[in-house]
Amino acid sequence: MDITFRSPKPVAIEVQDLHVRLGGNPVLRGVNLRIESGRMVALIGPNGSGKTTLLRCLLGLQKPDSGSVQLLQDGPPGPTLLRRVGYVPQRLQLDPSFMLTVREFLAIRRPLTAGWFWRPSRQIDVLLHEAVGEMDVTRLLDRPVAGLSGGQLQRVLICSSLLNEPELLLLDEPTAGVDTPGEADFYELIAEVHRRRKITVVLVSHDLSMVYRHASRVYALNGVICCEGAPEEVMNADSLRQAYGIHFTPYQHHHSHSHGSHGH
Amino acid sequence: MDIEPFMLRAVLTALFLGPLCGFIGVFVTARRMSFFSDTVAHAALAGVALGFWLGLPDPTVPMILFSLIIAGLILWLKERTALLNDTIMALLLSGSVALGMVILSLLKGYRGELDRYLFGDILSVGWGDVALALVVLITVGSVLFWKLNALALLTAHSDLAHVSGIPVRWLNYGFVALLTVTVALSIRLLGIILVTSLVVIPPAAARNLARSLRQQILLSLFLGLIGASGGVVLSYPLNLPSGPCITLTLAGLFVLSLLGGRLQRTHQNAP
Repeated sequence: MDITFRSPKPVAIEVQDLHVRLGGNPVLRGVNLRIESGRMVALIGPNGSGKTTLLRCLLGLQKPDSGSVQLLQDGPPGPTLLRRVGYVPQRLQLDPSFMLTVREFLAIRRPLTAGWFWRPSRQIDVLLHEAVGEMDVTRLLDRPVAGLSGGQLQRVLICSSLLNEPELLLLDEPTAGVDTPGEADFYELIAEVHRRRKITVVLVSHDLSMVYRHASRVYALNGVICCEGAPEEVMNADSLRQAYGIHFTPYQHHHSHSHGSHGH
Repeated sequence: MDIEPFMLRAVLTALFLGPLCGFIGVFVTARRMSFFSDTVAHAALAGVALGFWLGLPDPTVPMILFSLIIAGLILWLKERTALLNDTIMALLLSGSVALGMVILSLLKGYRGELDRYLFGDILSVGWGDVALALVVLITVGSVLFWKLNALALLTAHSDLAHVSGIPVRWLNYGFVALLTVTVALSIRLLGIILVTSLVVIPPAAARNLARSLRQQILLSLFLGLIGASGGVVLSYPLNLPSGPCITLTLAGLFVLSLLGGRLQRTHQNAP
């Protein structure tokens, strides 16, 4: 009898029994999460569901009370491992009094262009050419970052996070501050980056309408992973309906899907 | 042309500290730390008073040390309590000034010193201060340039800085220590009340004219240099304390930068 072994797919993120209390309140109550490499997935949940806390744990910004986080099958998030991770925050904390331009912001993110202060802009542009072209931010290079619109800023942030060739890209509420027509373009752009670079992309969002069209798998969080599966399956789950409240009317389609053991 | 030795000392100190305050000020204003700078400056008064109380002829060391202690206390209270930044700083600013005033009031013969430290006095600058200013310019300036990318990223987004491998907590502490030493030393020229003007006005004026961070830093360095040395030079013939003269020179430069910025925009918008 021939036996063929299928090698398991590499795992980009593995979270086991993660517990976090903030100010005495349990925010994460035993999160278990396994995201395979090369996928584009969405981590969704209403406000207060623990999305930001989980993201902070993945980035090593929040120490869990118990449980473990493993990234890229290489261990917990530390300075060396995080070099292989791209992070796109919602927005920057930039004060308009800080005249950092897009070119300078991109240059400070990359070791190759670390000496930007002493080099002519033209030299920096040559070094940034490829990444800038991919994200179509060439015309923004001379603009101050603090003056960009939501959509422009997101492009610049993704461009900067791709500079160091990450294997895993984490985006926090990526379309917050982006106008509705811009949202579709934005998700197309992310999907294109995912296809071309074959990296794992995790979209963390409370916005259900857009992510389910682009993510291959959706994880719904409400203190625990209460539901996971293909987008059309998860959108129809009772647990998600409960998490988002009774007025939530998801995409209507019936399929089997899996629930977490702590599901509501 | 003969130049008085005290004038030479004051001008040299201004030439060293003016650009440094302008440089560090770019990050102070962008990180909304102007009030922090003001607080550690006022804390220096208690250090000065302690120095006199200990019988030291030059209170520079206790002045810097006490400012560093207050800076550390601000960070510690920020991390350990739910108090707002403004509340913490207002508490420590008023507390330090009150402590300094009480000690100075108990000491006989030091009342006159108070004005010197409140408004700045070029006569009080010794060769030791000039040397210290040069050392601080070289060390603080070098560290700021060395950590420029990390500081810029920290200013943009602290979590992004962390993910990029920057030791955010230590960089914060280091920046606060460098700022405190720079501000405490500049008190000789500007006085406790006005020293923050040398940290805040040059980057604010530079922002009116600059189109990039590089331009803002270079312009701020230049305006700090012109404002500090110009103010010191003006204070001698006018027989005025150096602090107000430097601040008014900087204010004049700020007004010019506003006009310059407007002209620049008009020129850009012209067909």
